[in-house]
Amino acid sequence: MRRTAILLAFPLLTAAVCAQETVAPTPDTVGPARGDNVSDYNVVNTFETGVRFFSVGGSLPEYRSNVNYGNGVRLLSSDLTINSKDGHGKYFDEIVLTTQGLGNDPYESATLRIQKNKLYRYDMVWRLNDYVNPGLVTGGADGLHAMDTRYTLQDHDLTLFPQSKIKFFLGYTHSSQGGPAISTVQLFDTNGNPYPVFANVRRSWNGYRVGNEIEFFGIKLNWMRGWEDFKEDTPFASAGTGPVSSFTRQEPYHGTSPYWRVALFADKKLVSFNGRFTYTAGQRGFLLDETALGTSAGTGINRQIVTSGTARRPVATGNATVSFFPTSKLSIVNHTSIYNVRTEGDSTFSQFDNATQSFTYLSFQYLGIRTVANETDVNYQFLPQLGVYAGYDYSSRRIRSIVSADIPFYDQTNKVNSGVLGFRIRPVKPLTIILNGEIGRDSRPFAPKSDGNYHDLGARAEYRHKSLLLSAYAKSDYNTNAVSFSAFASRSRTYSANASWTPREWLSFDVGYTKLHLYTVGGIAYFVDLNLVPGEQSLYFSNLHTGTAGVRFSMGRRADLYVAYSRVQDTGDGRSTPDGPGIGSSLPAFQAAQTFPVLFQSPLARFSFKLSERVRWNVGYQYYGYREDFDRTLGYRANTGYTSILWSF
Amino acid sequence: MLAQSARNSGYVGSTVCKACHPDVWVNFNKNPHFKSIAAGNKPGPDTGCESCHGPGGAHVAAHGGKATIVAFSELKPAQVLDNCLRCHAQTISRANIRRSSHTLNDVVCTDCHSIHKATVPKFLLAKRQVELCYTCHADVRAQFSMPFKHRVNEGFMTCTDCHNPHGAFAPTWRTADRPRMVDQDVNEEPCLKCHAEKRGPFVYEHPPVRIEGCEMCHYPHGSVNSRLLRRPVVFTLCLECHNGAGNFGRQGKGDPLTAATHSMTDPRYRNCTNCHVRVHGSNADPLFLR
Repeated sequence: MRRTAILLAFPLLTAAVCAQETVAPTPDTVGPARGDNVSDYNVVNTFETGVRFFSVGGSLPEYRSNVNYGNGVRLLSSDLTINSKDGHGKYFDEIVLTTQGLGNDPYESATLRIQKNKLYRYDMVWRLNDYVNPGLVTGGADGLHAMDTRYTLQDHDLTLFPQSKIKFFLGYTHSSQGGPAISTVQLFDTNGNPYPVFANVRRSWNGYRVGNEIEFFGIKLNWMRGWEDFKEDTPFASAGTGPVSSFTRQEPYHGTSPYWRVALFADKKLVSFNGRFTYTAGQRGFLLDETALGTSAGTGINRQIVTSGTARRPVATGNATVSFFPTSKLSIVNHTSIYNVRTEGDSTFSQFDNATQSFTYLSFQYLGIRTVANETDVNYQFLPQLGVYAGYDYSSRRIRSIVSADIPFYDQTNKVNSGVLGFRIRPVKPLTIILNGEIGRDSRPFAPKSDGNYHDLGARAEYRHKSLLLSAYAKSDYNTNAVSFSAFASRSRTYSANASWTPREWLSFDVGYTKLHLYTVGGIAYFVDLNLVPGEQSLYFSNLHTGTAGVRFSMGRRADLYVAYSRVQDTGDGRSTPDGPGIGSSLPAFQAAQTFPVLFQSPLARFSFKLSERVRWNVGYQYYGYREDFDRTLGYRANTGYTSILWSF
Repeated sequence: MLAQSARNSGYVGSTVCKACHPDVWVNFNKNPHFKSIAAGNKPGPDTGCESCHGPGGAHVAAHGGKATIVAFSELKPAQVLDNCLRCHAQTISRANIRRSSHTLNDVVCTDCHSIHKATVPKFLLAKRQVELCYTCHADVRAQFSMPFKHRVNEGFMTCTDCHNPHGAFAPTWRTADRPRMVDQDVNEEPCLKCHAEKRGPFVYEHPPVRIEGCEMCHYPHGSVNSRLLRRPVVFTLCLECHNGAGNFGRQGKGDPLTAATHSMTDPRYRNCTNCHVRVHGSNADPLFLR
């Protein structure tokens, strides 16, 4: 019995070692591990209710954009599982319900699974995210505001006869976004400076799907028909404030994306095959009706613009994968994919300007992309201690474009050849070493920053022995696109080392450090006082050091103490002021943007005391500190905490 | 008749196993694999303990021992994969498991799933999903520790909202099968599952969004820059492409330069998205002003 208890406790203990990034909810458990028997069911049930509190010094909007934990009573978490004892429950055999943050936490979720063997399985996920939506201006000073934007997402999936050879699927997805956010309206003050307009965003999308799976002669056929609808009817209105005395915009959109997905599977001893075909007939109808009266950019305006039309984007994909297993040590997998998309619509749409009493007919900008790719991977286990894999990928992408009637149709193709090679080395059982690399050549990158001539090198080592885990990771990525007068090159290197150790049942450690180094050079050309400044470079240096450390200490099986610290610091290129060393560009603004030193740190501590077999009392504190070295106005220091009761009944 | 046939081939039935493995059996009714026992009509190789661990006759006769049974702790990664895929191969979410980066690097089913000691009942995960992924992907853990990030640590999102740990189909954005483990929203980038307003189609598409994907400008996990941008300010992000150089862009003449009136010494022209508000695509303006 004692052995059983330890076996059940161990994964919980190791789970708590890693990645406790937020102080609440409490991960510790309470109540009998096996739950309680009620009639023909076994029930495991826990709730954690408590109070959160916080105080912020510095930029409250920035805190609400990044963290956003507030004050008040919460159902911090709950877990309920009900299982039939013999797999023959009357209405269900399993219910699993998990919730987090209900009662006004900024991050709330609930997941539910109900199933009855052979008959049905129902899965539901509901989520909510509240946050202050920063403005489109980076740096945020003009865009942060005091109210939350709210995302909610929910998915419902029902499978009928989940264990039979003929299954049916029904699904529904609903998501919505509401609340104030920066709008896509721009107005100008009397000096011509733009200022953002806020709007109460109203967006929602619904997805419906129905499908079926049939198995015959060892082959499985799966198909699904779905409809995804999106609509937005955010109204924008401004009256009597600012230089624009009256502004209204109605901009309703309605998009629909009906799709088909068909898949086929066959799995035999020496060969397996699967294929997938999808087709989406995306379409969006839109209308824009905008009226503006007043002064914009220093000149009077009396403008009404009406735009309407329909845009279409049919997308088709096909995938076929064939896997061969000639011997137990060798597998060869070939994957072929085709992707075709065209963005088009009515050949023209109209735009009416009330001020000039004129119609403008505008053409759709046609964009077509067709990609054909084939990849072959070979995986061979030479020895129990050594395995090798290699892969070759060829992609051909054709992009066709019409910008306007007076500019000729343009057609371009780029081809990518890339290869991967990797080694798996296991000299002794607890130690695994992975070495891999990839090299690619693109004949015609689409954008200066696209992958052009690139190569990656990576290495990973992991040592697992009983409750000790040591790992190290290194990776470098290089990408270069060279053109006539400018070049884009990026070089990133990542180094990481981690250790987790549980020397005793009551003591565990978790430490990690990662360095992310990024250096990019991009050719730029810009104007100063109508004069072109060519041939300069945009440089960006980032040296990110992140560290996490956590210690868990249990006292006499009744109390648990967890202390952790997380620190993220970009030291940039070492400068202490925005003034650059005078390289790359002659313009101070570009030099100031070459690096962005910042510090974000968060220590936390949590104490959890077992009052009885079924009740725990918890208290925790977490500090968030954010500081931008070049602009202290957006920094904040937040003290957050909670106290709660975790109980099982 | 079925039982007689099973006994002849070395299958003894799960009830025999529980005599020596009560710790496993005690909670097995909560395990999804218990369905095969509850069904009561499956042949020996397809039911209960022996459907994964093989016939137990020799194991019973030898009074235990790992050499007489299929013990997963003794199997090579490829054998673990084969064993599980015997039942779990033919589903669309695992269609690419043989070519996934996880498989190629010997990360197989039992590295993430714990059949008998699962912490998370749904999908029998050995740990909470994010902790499971962070065990190997420490660099990603660092990215989610940034001040601006998708809310994974906070529990709002999970890694599998965007990734398929069992391998994904070739992406419909970018080329060269990069990335390999990012799932699709039917046939588009998974970002659009939540950010549906950026899905379009638009009359005026911003081509890199469709051709190279959101990662062209954004870090998907986390960033020290607002809005997960790759640069701390917008204007360098935009100008690094819009430099008119080479044969880049949809017309092969370089990505267009800014207008000559946009003097970069004037701060208002350095906030590109203050005017070009529809950078993800517009139905009313080719310059994304409306």
